[in-house]
Amino acid sequence: MAITVVKRDGTREPYDANKINLAIEKAAAGLDENITWVTQIASELELTLFDGITTQQLDEAVIQVALQNVKDDPEFDTVAARLLLKTIYKRVLGDYETDAELLQLHRSKFRAYVERGVAEGLLDPRFPALFDLDRLAEALTPAHDSLLKYIGLVTLNNRYGIKARNGEPLEVPQYFWMRIAMGLSLNEARATDVAIEFYETMSALDYLAAGSTLVNAGTKFPQLSNCFVMEMHDDIEHIAKSVRDVMWITKGTGGIGLSVTKLRAQGSPIRSNNTVSTGPIPFMHTIDSVLRAVSRGGKKFGALCFYMENWHMDFPEFLDLRQNSGDPYRRTRTANTAVWISDEFMKRVQHDEPWYLFDPLEVSDLNELYGKAFSERYAFYAAEAEAGRIHMFKKIAARAQFKDILMSLQTTSHPWLTWKDTINLRAINNNTGTIHLSNLCTEICLPQDIDNIAVCNLASINLSRHLQADGTFNWATIERSARLAVRQLDNLIDITMSSVPEADHANINNRAIGLGMMGFTDVVERLGISYESEAAYDLIDEVAEHISYYAIQESIDLAKERGSYPNFAGSRWSQGMVPFDTIDLAEKDRGVPITVSRKTRLDWAALREQVKGGMRNATLMAIAPTASIGLVAGTTPGFDPQFSQIFSRATSNGKFLEVNRNLVDALRQHGLWEKVREQVLRSQGDIQGIAEIPDEIKAVYKTSFQLSPYSFIEVAARAQKWIDQSISRNMYLETREVSDMIDIYSAAWEKGVKTTYYLHMKPRHQAEQSTVKVNKAEEIVGKKGFGAVAAETPGTSAPVPTGATARRGFGGLGA
Amino acid sequence: MPILGTGVKDGLLLKPIRYQWAMDLYDQAVANTWFPNEIQLGEDIADFKKMTDEERHAVTFLISYFNPNELLVNKALAFGVYPYVNAPEAHLYLAKQMWEEANHSMSFEYVLETFPINREEAYGAHVDIPSMARKEEFEVKFIRRMTEEKIDITTTEGKKDFVRNLIAYNIILEGIWFYSGFMVALSFRQRNLLRNFGSLVDWIVRDESLHLKFGMNLILTVLEENPDLQTPEFAAEIKQMILEAVEMEEQYNNDLLPGGILGLNAGYINQYVKYLADRRLEELGFDPEYKVTNPAKWMATANDTLELVNFFESTNTSYESNAKASS
Repeated sequence: MAITVVKRDGTREPYDANKINLAIEKAAAGLDENITWVTQIASELELTLFDGITTQQLDEAVIQVALQNVKDDPEFDTVAARLLLKTIYKRVLGDYETDAELLQLHRSKFRAYVERGVAEGLLDPRFPALFDLDRLAEALTPAHDSLLKYIGLVTLNNRYGIKARNGEPLEVPQYFWMRIAMGLSLNEARATDVAIEFYETMSALDYLAAGSTLVNAGTKFPQLSNCFVMEMHDDIEHIAKSVRDVMWITKGTGGIGLSVTKLRAQGSPIRSNNTVSTGPIPFMHTIDSVLRAVSRGGKKFGALCFYMENWHMDFPEFLDLRQNSGDPYRRTRTANTAVWISDEFMKRVQHDEPWYLFDPLEVSDLNELYGKAFSERYAFYAAEAEAGRIHMFKKIAARAQFKDILMSLQTTSHPWLTWKDTINLRAINNNTGTIHLSNLCTEICLPQDIDNIAVCNLASINLSRHLQADGTFNWATIERSARLAVRQLDNLIDITMSSVPEADHANINNRAIGLGMMGFTDVVERLGISYESEAAYDLIDEVAEHISYYAIQESIDLAKERGSYPNFAGSRWSQGMVPFDTIDLAEKDRGVPITVSRKTRLDWAALREQVKGGMRNATLMAIAPTASIGLVAGTTPGFDPQFSQIFSRATSNGKFLEVNRNLVDALRQHGLWEKVREQVLRSQGDIQGIAEIPDEIKAVYKTSFQLSPYSFIEVAARAQKWIDQSISRNMYLETREVSDMIDIYSAAWEKGVKTTYYLHMKPRHQAEQSTVKVNKAEEIVGKKGFGAVAAETPGTSAPVPTGATARRGFGGLGA
Repeated sequence: MPILGTGVKDGLLLKPIRYQWAMDLYDQAVANTWFPNEIQLGEDIADFKKMTDEERHAVTFLISYFNPNELLVNKALAFGVYPYVNAPEAHLYLAKQMWEEANHSMSFEYVLETFPINREEAYGAHVDIPSMARKEEFEVKFIRRMTEEKIDITTTEGKKDFVRNLIAYNIILEGIWFYSGFMVALSFRQRNLLRNFGSLVDWIVRDESLHLKFGMNLILTVLEENPDLQTPEFAAEIKQMILEAVEMEEQYNNDLLPGGILGLNAGYINQYVKYLADRRLEELGFDPEYKVTNPAKWMATANDTLELVNFFESTNTSYESNAKASS
């Protein structure tokens, strides 16, 4: 069949294999074995062709063919990324031949890009006046694009890149980075200089701003804050107001934490119409629907996490919100859930004591209390209940409820466990009230109330980019990144717009930011140490200490330049405390030791003196999940371990194969990768059973389900020493024993971990694999054996596992 | 007592378990329970609208085929397997499998009722489109022998009919025809289309993998327990059934993709069908017939690996309801 290709203008030309081969050859330039790759990609491409394919489809098909070979060699990912880059360049900038021409196009078309964006009402109208566009254009460095892996490029391009009103793409990756840098330096006196600094570090992937910032910075509607933390009050006006606020924040792509603890329970009396309440569940379902309605054309749903304290009368139903069966009107399929747990509860679990559930209407002060004060009041209400002076209550065993929480976590990954007392007792800003909940990703710890929707603004340092060839960190570049990121986040607060006055109010008065980090596993792998080793724990301890130190220093400097945040007076900063000092405060109130190392390395005494003088920001650090920006950065997200050595990622941009390049490099050094890669795929990325692989490699490259779950806790606990907010601590478990889960989550509380996040359970059963050899009959070992007939009939092809007799079916029967 | 038998009063007590594999499969199947309404199709409708005619045709064609055929599998189980099997653990599994087939059918119904598809045409396709009707007729022929011509499972001929029906519905329909359909359905997700439909398919594939394991175990057990079936003539007949099924599938695929879509054409799917058929042949103890490579290397990403879900963006299909642990 003759294949013709339909060109953009509608005309047809015969398929030209040579042209495709040249394009592939160029994309594979400089990589190993590129000659065989050209023929391989080309022949696999030809399998998929059909008459009438468009040039655009052809471009995409070549990329898909390159991608499907990543399982055999991660370098194919580079080929795919280069091919995709080329199509982006051509669409945005036009045709080019050489790198020099490409650079020239980047520079010469930059001004037109900005002007068109402004003219179409997409970009910030102040851009042309505030910036020297020619200088910015000169700073553009397309060579940085080679840092992007395929999935990073796709994420950047599809999710963050701006399109014109008519749908044409306006941005190449470097325009995107420059737009973000400009959008975060609008308030600077030397806006162009500062923008170039932000641009250089971010486009080099040294640190990255968080998702909402990357979507909206530099646009006409800069909703740049990432996290919003709010609660619903127990009256219908405020419930309606909360629905409204959720809509606006969702429209601006902010993630939301929403506490429903204050809502009276189902069956609780309503005075105004002499009826009873339906309780919080139906209102949560309403909010859940809102998240799907305001969804950016159905492409990105709103993201929200409900919080409830576990003494609420309706908490058992809260646990069912994510069940896959039952009344759909009493479920939240989109929203997440988290439980806000007190020390009192953990102690009652440990001592196997009863636990009481109450209607908030009758115990309205409980939600405001924490630590010892909470315990005392809780004991008072329990006594009142026993004395028959509480209208609605329920008495259960604390352990029974903890088991219910953990079973729900195991089967639905919800609710996430967060510890309110560790959070509140370690709060730096306890002068501004109680922290009632965390946020969508459990890394934010900020007080809020009816007049303040707490806001946080995030960025993350890419540790991987600061690790030097000699295996040491470049503390100077880490300091540079930390300081620039803090300045950038502080700028953001004055630039962002949220459409929710309570949020703007909180933002301005607290100027809370959360600098995080990503790439921890990437780094330990490159250092050849195990995630679950003391060396790794000490490393994260040291890195978190340094980053915290630099961030505080920068905030001190900014306070000198720009003034302290309005709520500074009365904060623990103002009393000369740093986050590390709050561990002892929490421990004292808890009355049980917080079992984490108290080792320090830097001169904190000097810093304690300085913070007293003024801080620009109420908080400085939070470790976000970095699930999306980690992809752009091309490193492992946050503190996440390697999920598996080969696995797929399901994102809103599709499904991508991830092969651990560090492992491939390590195996290549032993000449093993080609030999074992099919086995690695067959075992779904578990290398422990592969005989050829040396033990020292196996020790470093365990899957997330093979690592001790206590290692996730230890890494978080060490970092948590230095972090004033919290950590999105993903957990991974193979065990399904609830007693194991009780131990693991109790250990997290004991070690002073503030919050945990998503729990990934190891699936016990996987669909039949397609691309590796499968023969189920070989796995089926019959007790009675069918070997007698099979043994007499040579010529069958199925190999028999040693020591067992495989069933042979029709084997040897004349087939 | 062998696995085959028809005594109504036999097999009423589960213990002692004779066929542990059936019990294990039952436990796993229960843990795999899911419901189509966990998946929201809003995004997919937007995708469907912007897809090309040929792509929409392929999706509609697939769903039109799967929808009635999931229920056809149930008939094969109800009339041709369940009555002739006597182990209670196998009955338990079959009951769960039948619910799963119903659930799959309801999933395709859910998609059919949600996507802007010409439903009359879709529901009629399994009768109106010759290549589809032919596949159905092939299956029906074997089910009929189990019902209209009452078989005696104690005779060699009765046992042969039992195995023929198993091969037809389990190895061919579920193990080859469905599997090539899954590959086509999942190919859209690789291009970032129909991601949520893809999640439904993930679940269905997960179930079908167990169905295949059960069927394969049952066939091998029956062969093992019945030496009278182990003849070259019967083996040749079975192999021929599979080769015929491949040929039918080729015609069907030509109708599925008369032209081509990005990344796929009929020839490509047919190569995949042959790759699958060889795998099934080898599992049954035959030599491979076609000796082709798997063209769909991307199935490593789509199906073969553990999936890490960015869960604000995609449905996590790896969770299990854990009947055992919660008791």
